[in-house]
Amino acid sequence: MPPAAPTGSTSSFRSSFARWSRRVRARLALRHVLTGAAIGLVVGTGATAAAWTTRHGPLRPGGAIGGLLGAAAGFAVARRRRWSDPHVALYLDAKLGAHETIATAIELEGQGGDDDSARAVVISQATAALAQATPKQVRAPMLRPWHLAVPLAAAAIGYLSWIPLPPLPEVAKAPPGVDKVQLAQVAGLEKVIKLSEIDPRDEAQKERLRKLAEEAKRIREKLRTGAEKREAQADIAKLRDAITSERLSLGDGEQRAGMEAALGKMAANPDLKQAEKALGDRDLVKFDEEMEKLANKLEKQDREQAKKTLEEAAEAAKKAGSPDVARELAQQKKLMDERAKKGDALRELAKEMGDGLGEDGKDALKDFEKKGGGKEQQKLADKLDDALKKMTPEQRKQLAENMKKKMASAPDEGTGKGPSKRQLKDLADQLDTPEGQKQLEDELKKMAEAPEAGSDEAERQKALDGAQEGAGEAEGDVGGTPMPMPMAGGKGDKDGKGGPGKDGKGGKDGPGQEGHSEGGGPGDHTGQTGVIEGGDLRAHANAKINKGKPMPGMVMGRSAGRAGDTANIAGEGGIGNAGPGEIGGIERSDVPEEYREQVGRYFQPR
Amino acid sequence: MTDAGGGESFEVRLALAQKTSAKLREAIGFVIVGQNEVVDQTLWGLLAGGHVLLEGAPGLGKTLLVRTLSSCLDLKFSRIQFTPDLMPSDVTGTNILVTSADGSRHFTLHKGPVFGQVVLADEINRATPKTQSSLLEAMQEHACTIAGVRHAMEEPFFVLATENPIEMEGTYPLPEAQLDRFLLKVIVPSPTEDEMTEILVRTTGRDRGEPPKVLSREELMILRALCRDVAVAEPVLRYASRFVRASDPTTPGAPDLVKRALRFGAGVRGAQSLVLASKAVAMLDGRAHVSFADVQRVAKPVLRHRLIRSFEGEADGITTDQVVAGLIEAVATRPEAVQQAMAR
Repeated sequence: MPPAAPTGSTSSFRSSFARWSRRVRARLALRHVLTGAAIGLVVGTGATAAAWTTRHGPLRPGGAIGGLLGAAAGFAVARRRRWSDPHVALYLDAKLGAHETIATAIELEGQGGDDDSARAVVISQATAALAQATPKQVRAPMLRPWHLAVPLAAAAIGYLSWIPLPPLPEVAKAPPGVDKVQLAQVAGLEKVIKLSEIDPRDEAQKERLRKLAEEAKRIREKLRTGAEKREAQADIAKLRDAITSERLSLGDGEQRAGMEAALGKMAANPDLKQAEKALGDRDLVKFDEEMEKLANKLEKQDREQAKKTLEEAAEAAKKAGSPDVARELAQQKKLMDERAKKGDALRELAKEMGDGLGEDGKDALKDFEKKGGGKEQQKLADKLDDALKKMTPEQRKQLAENMKKKMASAPDEGTGKGPSKRQLKDLADQLDTPEGQKQLEDELKKMAEAPEAGSDEAERQKALDGAQEGAGEAEGDVGGTPMPMPMAGGKGDKDGKGGPGKDGKGGKDGPGQEGHSEGGGPGDHTGQTGVIEGGDLRAHANAKINKGKPMPGMVMGRSAGRAGDTANIAGEGGIGNAGPGEIGGIERSDVPEEYREQVGRYFQPR
Repeated sequence: MTDAGGGESFEVRLALAQKTSAKLREAIGFVIVGQNEVVDQTLWGLLAGGHVLLEGAPGLGKTLLVRTLSSCLDLKFSRIQFTPDLMPSDVTGTNILVTSADGSRHFTLHKGPVFGQVVLADEINRATPKTQSSLLEAMQEHACTIAGVRHAMEEPFFVLATENPIEMEGTYPLPEAQLDRFLLKVIVPSPTEDEMTEILVRTTGRDRGEPPKVLSREELMILRALCRDVAVAEPVLRYASRFVRASDPTTPGAPDLVKRALRFGAGVRGAQSLVLASKAVAMLDGRAHVSFADVQRVAKPVLRHRLIRSFEGEADGITTDQVVAGLIEAVATRPEAVQQAMAR
């Protein structure tokens, strides 16, 4: 390297070096700033993405602040890592191939002393080197691959700030039934509350009925203040279960043996077949109706036989430890005579009125004679009342005379068909006087308006049916769909007019289940079910039907377990009961003998 | 270089130094064929004020180089042929009993060959360590103590020693202390084919005569002073320090090659030699300052005889030149930030 002429002074070297060092430092600082901005923008992009994802729209452009903060941080780092003059000089030496001339000059320049010859030469050479430098030669590295993140991240922030926010996430639906229900009045529960007013069978039932009423009151209060729908539904359903259980309580538990014994006795009398089935099903209302039908339909001889059967059944029940069943049977025996007398009187009166009864009345008489049910009796009483009102005093007189004439040929008390002499005499006496006629009209009117009172158990069960129906209405009021409960079948005729449920119309929300007895279920029996093309059937049922055997006893389809309960709770409802046909079922089964005792214990009703 | 007084500016003196060194090379080249690097390194030692150990096989022109150099310099030349029976007094000289004209007897110092200005210690490793050590004081302190009297050397004092690495039988390897006194250890390589041919031409024909004297004692002293004035920036000094420290295997962060191949590294004298030799290089290159490249250029001749190999290094055949090359690779010249900026 030829020696450079001392062309520049110290000041020119300093100014020249300062110019180049500024460039170098500026680029290095810019590199730090860009790096910081890149990091900040990447972080800001993440923040913007998070804001976009979480639908914080206004915050999205804020991600750019990350870039500014990053740039500021980069600038601070650049300040801290600012190259000293020797560093810059070494860098320039390396870039310019100056063999450390500039670095040496920087040092010598700082030391001062113009008499140092080497100093002047070195500074001169350094000045010359700097003078020949070009910006391209000394360009400090500034851009780095990761600086590409600056435009990319900025674009990403802009894009995320520009695009619409994502749609609202679907809110998870609340579990069914958690919504609140609040009712000022629940009419259905009032029917349950009235259970405490009915005449109980015994103290235990009184206590149970009181608890049912208390529970109904509690639910009513709960609904007034508001409760979860599912909770209210569960409470009402439990209440319904309890009512159903109470409805089936006659002859249950310890008195079951008595019930079985009574049913066994009743099964011996074919006339009591339907009644026995109704009693076996614990459907006391139907049992009462059947007994009423029998009282109206049977010949006196058969009636006496039926009474005897009832007496034997009552005795058997009593002996087997079921006084309640015995009491019910004894009451039915007693009612049978009274009902028979009334029926005979109505029938005789209708016959004697002849054409005065009218066509409707004659039809009502036919129905009554054929079915003998309470409704037919009401209808006939209604027609008789109408006909009696239409009769003139002479016609009434004539009717009384006819009665007296018939009285002569009437049998004595208790034998033969038709009314007894005493019954005819009573009717004739009534028709003889205006007061008697008035009394007879009243009696007929009363019979037409309201059915005859049944046995105590039947009345009790009617009240329980009403309460059950009320609970069903209450369950409907809180938005539930009442489960079909085992209730007495409708009283529809064969023409299918009778609907399901106790009164044939079905409750508001609790239509009830059709019973196994006749007349249940809607539908027109005059229709015909379409013929099924069975040729292609690959299998057909070949089940064995237990001919002559009753359908299985009342079995409730669910236990008292409800929402929130666990499956480990033992059934507390009717599932624990066994039907008459199921008693001794294990002995008749093909369970190996050595296991029968164990299996029997497992299925022992509680 | 007749007008190379101290009144000239540094820049002029620097130019004259370049010119003179070129003349010197030319004069040496009048006799020595090739061996440019050897000649240059010898000049570094001469200008830096250090001593040079020349190592090479017999017949490569070591002695001729020294004799030619001394011929080119207007200096007092002396030669010591080291042999096993050479005694220290043969080197330094001794007091001998002299009978004067009046018949009285007295001791007179009879100076040995060490009292020359350019001393050729030929085949120095053939003498015993005791005799070799007789040079120590003269080399280090430029003085020689004989019979309790210290005698200063006439400046410039420049020892050029040669040694033969092949014939090891009957030789005494120079002790470390002795080796450390040499500024440079120059390896004399075999001539190339062209150089060999030229040597044959020159040496088998008519005698070409002596080379011209191109450098007087005063001029040499001026150049030596000029060499000392060459500036060295702190980063370069730090680099030299890091370089020498890295040659010490006990230094933390020393390269693995150093730890494996060396038992001892260079010391302070090595670092001093490194800078001095670098200054000579810079001066001969016409620069008033030392660069990193200068340090790297002189590293091998300065350090190769100062590094003591370990058993493993010797067993693996790792030469000290390889270790120095490794150090040049491993030791960073510039600060890390600058290095990183340069690398990008």
